[in-house]
Amino acid sequence: MSDLKITGIDKHYGKFHAVKGVSLDVPEGEFTVLVGPSGCGKSTLLRCIAGLEETTGGTIEIGGKDVTHARPRDRDIAMVFQNYALYPYLNVRDNIAFGLRARKFAEAEVEKRVKRAADMLDIGHLLARFPRELSGGQRQRVAIGRAIVRDARLYLFDEPLSNLDAQLRDDMRVEIKRLHQELGRTMIYVTHDQIEAMTLADRIVLLRDGVIEQQGSPLDVFERPASRFVAGFLGSPKMNFLKATMSQTGVTLADGRKLDLPGYKGFKIGQAVFLGIRPQHIALAGKTVAKRHERIAVTIELVQPTGSRVLVTLPLGGTSVVAELAAHDVSRPGEKIHVDIDLTRAILIDADTEKVIQVTP
Amino acid sequence: MSALPLHRRQSFRLAFRYLLAIMFVVVFCFPVYWLFIISFKTPDEIFAFPPVWYPESIQFKNYAVLFKDGDAWSVWNSLVLASVSTFVAMILGTLAAYSLVRFKTGGENLAVWIISQRMMPPVAIVFPLFLLYVYLGWVDSYFGLIILYTAFSLPYVIWMMRGYIEDIPLELEESALVDGCTRFEVLWKVVLPMARSGLFATAVFTFIFAWNDFLFALVLTRTEVTTYTVQVTHYFGGQSNFWAKIAAMSVLGTIPVFFTVAVMQRYLVRGISMGAVKG
Amino acid sequence: MTATVHPDRNFRYWLVAPAIFLLLLIGLFPLIYSLIVSFMRIDMMDTDTSFAWFFNYKNLFKDARLWWSLAHTLLITVIALPIELLLGLAMAYLFLEKMPGRQIFIALLVLPTIISPIVAGATWRLLFDNKYGPINQIISWLAGERINALWNINPTLVYPAIIFCEIWQWTPFMFLILLAALSNVDKSQIEAAEIDGARFWRTFRYIVLPAIWPVMAIAILIRGLDLFRIFDIIWALTQGGPGSKTETISIYAYAQGFKQFETSYTAAIAFLVVLILTVICTWAIRRMGLAK
Repeated sequence: MSDLKITGIDKHYGKFHAVKGVSLDVPEGEFTVLVGPSGCGKSTLLRCIAGLEETTGGTIEIGGKDVTHARPRDRDIAMVFQNYALYPYLNVRDNIAFGLRARKFAEAEVEKRVKRAADMLDIGHLLARFPRELSGGQRQRVAIGRAIVRDARLYLFDEPLSNLDAQLRDDMRVEIKRLHQELGRTMIYVTHDQIEAMTLADRIVLLRDGVIEQQGSPLDVFERPASRFVAGFLGSPKMNFLKATMSQTGVTLADGRKLDLPGYKGFKIGQAVFLGIRPQHIALAGKTVAKRHERIAVTIELVQPTGSRVLVTLPLGGTSVVAELAAHDVSRPGEKIHVDIDLTRAILIDADTEKVIQVTP
Repeated sequence: MSALPLHRRQSFRLAFRYLLAIMFVVVFCFPVYWLFIISFKTPDEIFAFPPVWYPESIQFKNYAVLFKDGDAWSVWNSLVLASVSTFVAMILGTLAAYSLVRFKTGGENLAVWIISQRMMPPVAIVFPLFLLYVYLGWVDSYFGLIILYTAFSLPYVIWMMRGYIEDIPLELEESALVDGCTRFEVLWKVVLPMARSGLFATAVFTFIFAWNDFLFALVLTRTEVTTYTVQVTHYFGGQSNFWAKIAAMSVLGTIPVFFTVAVMQRYLVRGISMGAVKG
Repeated sequence: MTATVHPDRNFRYWLVAPAIFLLLLIGLFPLIYSLIVSFMRIDMMDTDTSFAWFFNYKNLFKDARLWWSLAHTLLITVIALPIELLLGLAMAYLFLEKMPGRQIFIALLVLPTIISPIVAGATWRLLFDNKYGPINQIISWLAGERINALWNINPTLVYPAIIFCEIWQWTPFMFLILLAALSNVDKSQIEAAEIDGARFWRTFRYIVLPAIWPVMAIAILIRGLDLFRIFDIIWALTQGGPGSKTETISIYAYAQGFKQFETSYTAAIAFLVVLILTVICTWAIRRMGLAK
């Protein structure tokens, strides 16, 4: 049974069409992440679900009830904002209790719930403090506490970790994942960070220019992208795209190099394509586990160590590609090495439609 | 109301807001409108009962009388006094404000003392000032009143310009210093251009405050430097009032203010609120 | 300024010097003079510059007309200020959200505040005129019979007239300040409160009011002080009359100084006024928590 069902949501800002007929079915208890580049409409969509923006068309159902024209407070939702939106003149306890008191809960019940939320988020010792006295991470916890204390049906997160520094972001991500496991509620989470999306989501929904490009489980969308946009958006570092034309058995790169792609079908000779290869699928010669690979000799252009791995920029097919190798595989630019490219994991993208033609066989 | 769909609710609200807005505008603008049309009415129309809401024709006789009698000079006097004093106050005040902000001259105490001067009730000092002016021979002189208005405008100018100067990033001045400017050049070439809009806004309101003054003009002028505000009160009579003259003189004295405000209406909020709100 | 090694130390003092000089001359000097003179006995008749201790100040306490003028001032302030505040707040809320033509409305609404208080007073004198003023006309039309209310003379009607004119002129001032303050309130807090289930009054009391309080307090202080010193409007409407029924402290001081030429006594009054204002200011600043 779907907990959140939106059908054909449209949102215009004057002439600007921010959300174009988006439909989504979210089953109960699922963690759905709306992800996409800036301006794709994900925050707008979330705010429409919350009722903070009025839709120009479409319907929204929460828990089977039509809430398209309902006020935010009548939609049984809770929301965590990007800038926390804590009430500066109330202390932490009153901040968390605010919603309960607004709905006239008995004080005893309020006390109980606040304590439970505070314990869950480990902020029990901060209850008497004021928001201005807290660190960014603590404020975020209070914001989450305010959301969970009302036991709402649907939880909305609007880029909650964007204002935190990198280290904190990693920690909070874990917290949120744990929270979802404990509470089991339906959560809609908006972010532009694909790592957050991949690690948190039960289902990823990729948005671009107001439409859903693709949705599915993280692994699904990662390994079987439907378009060049999706393929390039997920995965860090970005997937490499090489201009090529199809040949009888594979592709011919821009510099004339021929690559065979066994296991792939439907070659149309001369069709313009992009060959997509992830940096992780290029390895130092002899170290790859791929069943089939292409060995080539290259001269290293650039080296970026990341600790246990190193990102190496090499020339291939008339352009530069990035490969992710083990830290000690290479040492410096100018070095000549051999690399193995795993061609069983490459994807073929039609150059005109930018749609993916074929993925891993 | 909540049974109606959201957009219907919005339309009702908007219509209601417009209704209220128009009501407020009528209440706040009608008296001004009345003043204006009185100045264009003939004596018959002015004293007609029931009152004439809209004059037959716009006639300028009332204004002509003012010019003929030489009363209109009072507007000129106001103009001279207000503009010169504003000009001087802007210069002195901005320089002082810069000193307060960048060098923290005199610390908190000086700043507080300057601001407190704005709170000074005119009535407390108008009499001793009068005596002083008599002693100095400054009564009924352009010079004397310009000095007065300048001094009175200073606290406001300093308060406002302080805010505007604080908004200018220090880095700009520091990089100018590194580039070889003297302190004075930094002020002239970097700070003033950046504070331009603040300068305009403050100047407009300083001008208006000086232009609208009454008490000091009443006490410190006689016949030479009468301002329009004092001139208007000359038309009040015990038994009857020269309504036409009152209205015409008032309009003459108010048009310049309307004009300046219309041009500068973007800066209205900050100017009137005396920088109480940041941004 | 050309010197290569010009200590900043002097530059900054040169900058403030002229301004400070003028302020001392026009601001401080008269005050000191007042203080000194108030301890003497100078009036229209003779100039007795001998030290008379607290002679004038003792007379202050016995002067009924003085205390009445303070009462009049207080009356006007206590009635006008809250009305200006609430009305201004209501107007600010009205114009808070966007609407087409908003700029024009606001520009029009500001008119009363920018005209001279004398002109404002004169305008309302016109409007309230018992024979030729539209106010009586409108009231007569509503009441169905000819009403000849003497707004500028009838002691009962005079105060409503003055207060109405004052509110008319200065509510837009409050309106503008509060509009700016309301616009600066963090919208996401309001949205969070909306989602939390709070209705208008709860949101206003716990979130909006604390946020706009600093600005509101300053506005109240400025307006309150201005009301205490009110002069122009009353002068234009009634000149303190009938008799001394609408005399405020400023008008009374003016009368003593420029009609009676009671130099020393006026100085004492002036000092009393400054004292009262300073006390109110300090108390207000502390009470309202305005750390400047």
